[in-house]
Formats: sequence, C-alpha cells, structure tokens
Amino acid sequence: MRKEVIGPFQLFAMIVLFELGTAVVVPIGLESGHAVWISILVALPGGILLFMLYTYLYRQFPDLVISGYTRKILGKWIGWPLSLLYLPVLTYNGGRNLREAGDLLISSSYDRTPIFIINSIMIIAVMYILYQGIEVFSRTSEIYFWLIVIMGMISNFVVIIAGLVQFKNLFPVHPGEWIEVYKSAYPNIWIFPYGELVCFTAVLPHFKTKNKIGRTGAGAITLSALMLSFTHAIEMSVLGPDIYSRTTFPMFTMITLVNVANFLQRLDALVILTLIIGVFFKMSIYCYAAVSITADLFHVKEPRKLVIPVCSVVLYSSFVSAENYPVHMNDGKVFLENILPFLCAVIPVLLFVVHLVRRRFGWYR
Amino acid sequence: MKSRLALLLAVCISCSLVLSGCWNSRELNELAIVSGIGIDSLDGKPGYRVTFQIINPSSSSQTMGSTSNQPPIVIVSATDRTIFGALRKASRRATRQLFFAHTQLVIIGESLARTGVTSIFDIFERSHELRLNSAVLVSKDTDAASVLKLLTTLETLPSMGLLKKMQNTSQVWGENRRVTVFEVINGITGASDFTINGVQIVGDVVEGQKKSSLEQSDPMVGSLMSGLGVFKEGQLIGWLNGPESRGTQWMLNKLNETNVNVDSPDTEEDIAVNIFYSKTRVKVELQDGKPVFHVHIAEEGIINETGGFVDLSKEKELEALEQGIEQKTADEVRQAFEAAQKMKTDIFNLGNELKRIHPDQWEKVKQDWSSAFAEGELDLRVEAFIRSTGMRLKPYIPAKK
Repeated sequence: MRKEVIGPFQLFAMIVLFELGTAVVVPIGLESGHAVWISILVALPGGILLFMLYTYLYRQFPDLVISGYTRKILGKWIGWPLSLLYLPVLTYNGGRNLREAGDLLISSSYDRTPIFIINSIMIIAVMYILYQGIEVFSRTSEIYFWLIVIMGMISNFVVIIAGLVQFKNLFPVHPGEWIEVYKSAYPNIWIFPYGELVCFTAVLPHFKTKNKIGRTGAGAITLSALMLSFTHAIEMSVLGPDIYSRTTFPMFTMITLVNVANFLQRLDALVILTLIIGVFFKMSIYCYAAVSITADLFHVKEPRKLVIPVCSVVLYSSFVSAENYPVHMNDGKVFLENILPFLCAVIPVLLFVVHLVRRRFGWYR
Repeated sequence: MKSRLALLLAVCISCSLVLSGCWNSRELNELAIVSGIGIDSLDGKPGYRVTFQIINPSSSSQTMGSTSNQPPIVIVSATDRTIFGALRKASRRATRQLFFAHTQLVIIGESLARTGVTSIFDIFERSHELRLNSAVLVSKDTDAASVLKLLTTLETLPSMGLLKKMQNTSQVWGENRRVTVFEVINGITGASDFTINGVQIVGDVVEGQKKSSLEQSDPMVGSLMSGLGVFKEGQLIGWLNGPESRGTQWMLNKLNETNVNVDSPDTEEDIAVNIFYSKTRVKVELQDGKPVFHVHIAEEGIINETGGFVDLSKEKELEALEQGIEQKTADEVRQAFEAAQKMKTDIFNLGNELKRIHPDQWEKVKQDWSSAFAEGELDLRVEAFIRSTGMRLKPYIPAKK
C-alpha cells in the first residue's frame, strides 16, 4: 500500500482546526478575568516552543510516531510502558471533547435528545473519516478550514455591527492583573490548547515536505492564537467578566444577543456549527493519535482495524467520565493541572534531553 | 457483494432515521408562542403570579385579514413559587406547549418590583429558549397582568406595540431607553444600581381587554411609557419622571435624539431645538476620600421652530442660544443627579467606572458606596453646538418693538 501523505497547507488547516476545536467555544483561563485574551497571546511563545520540540524529535526520526522514538531513545524496557501511558490519556481526552460537545449541544438546543444519540452520531462520523485514512481527513480539513474562517468572520462581524462590543470591559489592565494573566497562561492555557498539539506527533510522519514543517506549524499556531484571542476578547467585551465567568457556552450567549435592525438575529446555528466542526476535528485527531500509537505499540499491521475499537472506547469514556457537566468541568481542571502537562511537556522534554545526551556521547548503536 | 449491499441499505435507513433530527422535533401547530411575560407578586406570600401573552395565530395574521373575531392574543396565567413552575403549571390552561423563543417583553408588577427583582432573571440566563435581549418594563401603579391584557392600536400584537412604543420614544424623546434582561443582570451584579422603564395605563383597564375598545378613533385606554424606575439593591425605591429621567439618560450617554426648548430674547422657552447627537464622557476619581464625577457632555442640535423673533443669521444670537441649550441640559442632568443622591442610589454606572479605572480607590469606598455617592461632587461641563437652522434663517415673525 502506498504511504499516505499530507501537504503543508493541509497540515496548517488541521492545526488551526485542532487548536480552535473546543477552546473557541468554552471559557478558558478564568483566573485572568477580563484579560484572558492577553493570556492567550502570552502563552503563544510557549506553545510554539513546544511544537518546535515535537518537530525536532520528528526530524530526528521522520518515520516514527511518538511511541516509536520513545522506545528508540529510552530503550524498549522504559519506552514501551511510558508510551502506553499515552493511550488512556488520549482516549480520555478525546472522550472529554466529545462529552463537552454533547453537553453543550443538549443545553443549547437539543434538550430532549439523549446524549448517547448525539455522541454516537458524532463518533460514527469520526470512525468513518478515520477509516478512510489520514489523507482523506486532511483534505476534509482543508475545506472546513475555510468554512470555519468564513463563519467566524460572519459571527464576529455581526456582533460588532450590532454594537454589542464594549471595549471598556477589556481595558484597562492593572499592574496586579498582569500576574494573573501570566499565571493562567502558564501552565493552563499553555497546555490547553497549545500543549495538546502533542497529538500531531502521530500525524507528522505523513508530512511530505520536511523542511517546511517549522514554518507551517508556527504559522498555524500563531493564526489560531490570534483567532482565539480575538474571539475571546469579543466574547468578554460583549458579556462582561461576570457573565463570561458564569456561562457554560459564552459564544452561544453572545450570539443570542445579536439583533441588527430587528432583522439579523438568532444566528445560533453558526455557533452550533462551529462547535460541531471544531470538536469533530479535534476528536478525530485524538482518535487518530490513539490509533497510531496503539498500532505501533502492539505491531498491528493495518491501523484501520483499530479505528472502531478505539472510537468505541472514546464514546464509552465520554459517558462514564462524569455524571454531569459541573463534575466534568472539575475533573477537567484536575486533569489539566496534573496529568496533561506530564504527557505534553515533561515526556517530550525528557526525550529531547536524553536524545541529545545519547547522540553527544554516541550511545546509539 | 449482496451482503455489502444489504449493509449499505441498513446504514442508509438508520441514518435517515437518526440524522433527520426528529428526536427533538416540535411542530409549529403544537406550540403556543409566548410574546410577553408578566410577573407579579402574590400579596405578601412567597411566589409569583406569572402571566403569559400568547399569540393567537388565526387572528393575528395580517395577510388573511381578520378572519375570526377573536382577539389577537390569549392570556394565560399561573402561580407558583418559581417562574419555571408557573410556566409548567400554565399547561393546565393552555392547549399547546408554551414556547418562549420569541418572547420580546418582560413586565414586572410594581409591587413585586418593590419587594425585589433580583431572583427573577436567573431563568432567562439558564434557559436556552428565553432570550437575554428581551426588553424589561415595570408597570407603574398597576400589576403586570393588566398591562399584558391591554389591546393596542396600530400593532396587532400588544407586546410588539409596547416594544415599539418604547423604541420609538427612546429614539426621539429620550426619557426612556430599551432596558434588556441582559442590562438588568449586569446592573444587579455590578457595583452600581440600575433603572428600568416604567409603563402606565391611562383609562379603564377592564375596557382595554375588549376588542371593542379599539373600535373608536380615540381608544378608551392606552399604555404610556412613563419615567424610569430606580432600583437599589434590586428593589424599586422610586420613580424619576420628566426632566429627571431625561437627565439620567443624558448622564448614561443613552440619549439619541430629543427636543430642548430654549428662551428667545423676548419670550421664555419658545425656540425648539432638536438635539440629534449627544455624547457623554464620564471620569470618576476620589479626591480626599470623596468621589468626584467629571461629566462632559457634547451635543449638537438643529433649530426646528421659533415662537418669536430671533435673528438666526447672526453668530452672536446663535451663541446665545447654544448657551441656553447648555444651561437647560446642565439643569436636567443636575436634577437627575440630585434626585439620585437623595435616594442614595448610583444609577449612573459611576461605581463601575471607579472600580474599572481605579480599583485601589474603589477598595476604600466599596463598603459604603451609596453614601459615598450621595456625598459625591458633580463636575459638569456641557458643550452645545447648533449645526443648522432648518430651511430659513430669519423667521417671518416680526421683532417686538
């Protein structure tokens, strides 16, 4: 079988969609209050640095996913169990994204539909596209990138011309608040959404133009950071820090306020679509990463066969992970602070250091 | 091959069942669309009487002409400890499920407003059907239910009529403004207090519920936008009327357009100036522990009518008129400010402004902001410009000898 390849723009689109994913619809970095948009920008350099780390490791081992070079660098006996840790985290986090989307859809419009039905429909779409392969997936993301950009522009434009934006909700930022800005940027926003790019270690081996990787990645991350920051700034300026901090779905609340000349109103569908598209891509990449790491660890010849089992696990974990949305959010906080940084930052840094040391002293056979 | 075809068919059928989105379906003819909600207190007892104004589709459609003789709306009400409870209890009287996505108006009865409105609005935030941008009114001297029951002329739907009345008057006269649920919630959570529009009934309430009341050119009853209700800690404590309420709007920078009558050289208040632009800038700071409010108003107007002779071609005369406008505006704003100080309520968002710009100073006064506000000083500056005198310069009216 021919190796599947992705081009630079396709990777670019995938990263942007992945970053926007859920981060654009849920409130992030609550600690920094009305300056959340600055936090997002402050966390950007850290995010790019992290991605550079992943690309460095990728350049060293261009054909391997993260579990592959973990075993190369740390040896089979440490590397294998360490890579195994990625599986529960990836499936759990994929499940979390699914759960979040399901819960938000139910509380915003599908109040009578069971969450099982909504989540199953979404996961079936993910199964289908992953079964078609990463190449099909990347081409899809190319199309949806434009769709998301256009919808984002329409929603933001409409909110602005409706005269809802009040810049006094964003300024001034007082000296004491800068500390909080920094605190919520590192590690929280740095890990979610930037650190989650660790999933792309499973996608990168398919990238065909190796020398363009740095530029593509950094560009995509910067663009998505700007979009995120802008959207959250608009949300904050419309809703004010009080409502923003209490709402579960700020973007939806914001769009319901739109009323342009008693004619342009109820644009909820745009936001719901943004949510569904974002979550679809984010979850697919999580599932894909889980599939390829599993295939690598257990030497499965055809990763496709793993799509249905892995996605079923994701679907299952989306239910059993939490009883209700508040529990889900609290779990998320613990997960984000204690587990995710370990896999997104600590292990890659460890690999990087060990790899440098081993290469320096020629300890590779 | 055959089994694959069967599988494909099964997938197609199951998809068409699930993906059509019928799980959540509600048919239009099974819904009762609520256009307005009225909330009243139950004399002393905890709980609410909630009144729903439901659109009667067969008699409110305009294309068909009034086919039936029913009124365009139906009123249903229910009492319960919570608003949602009342809304579900109302099903005992309604033939269809109440549907709230098109609710444009929320009316609060005066007696409920006096006991407090803080807990009413949670359902508007939490529900995905009710909208945060529905307008809020307080019914003055009457309960909310009677306002909802009134039929209106020109507009078939009474809540639409009230809404348009409110928008119209805030657009051209400026004593009222469209206050939404969103603004009220921000007012409750913010550091300052807030105001809500008042609505009043003039005429016989009982007659106004009948369609026959509309069958004469001068309707027997009508509703009237009347002043701003002042809320302190979520409770209605008083009303601002006339110049006081317009002064409030001026201070809040919510004035679109209005009319100011200024004195001509001979007569009092006989020149009508249409103010079509007004911009208010507010700065708040503490000086020696006392808040000082720097308010700067810039306004532009057109002379629309003169009652006596004034030589509008002369720059000097115009300057005198501009000064007259400044004087009138400052008077109204001062009246509003003094009324608010007397009630010890900061309805001008000044506390929020201080908190935003000088959080350290805010810490000092936040314990007792309302008394600090009451002792605050107003530093008011008004600049008025006359941009045009209409189609004529000098009036035809001869100058007095």
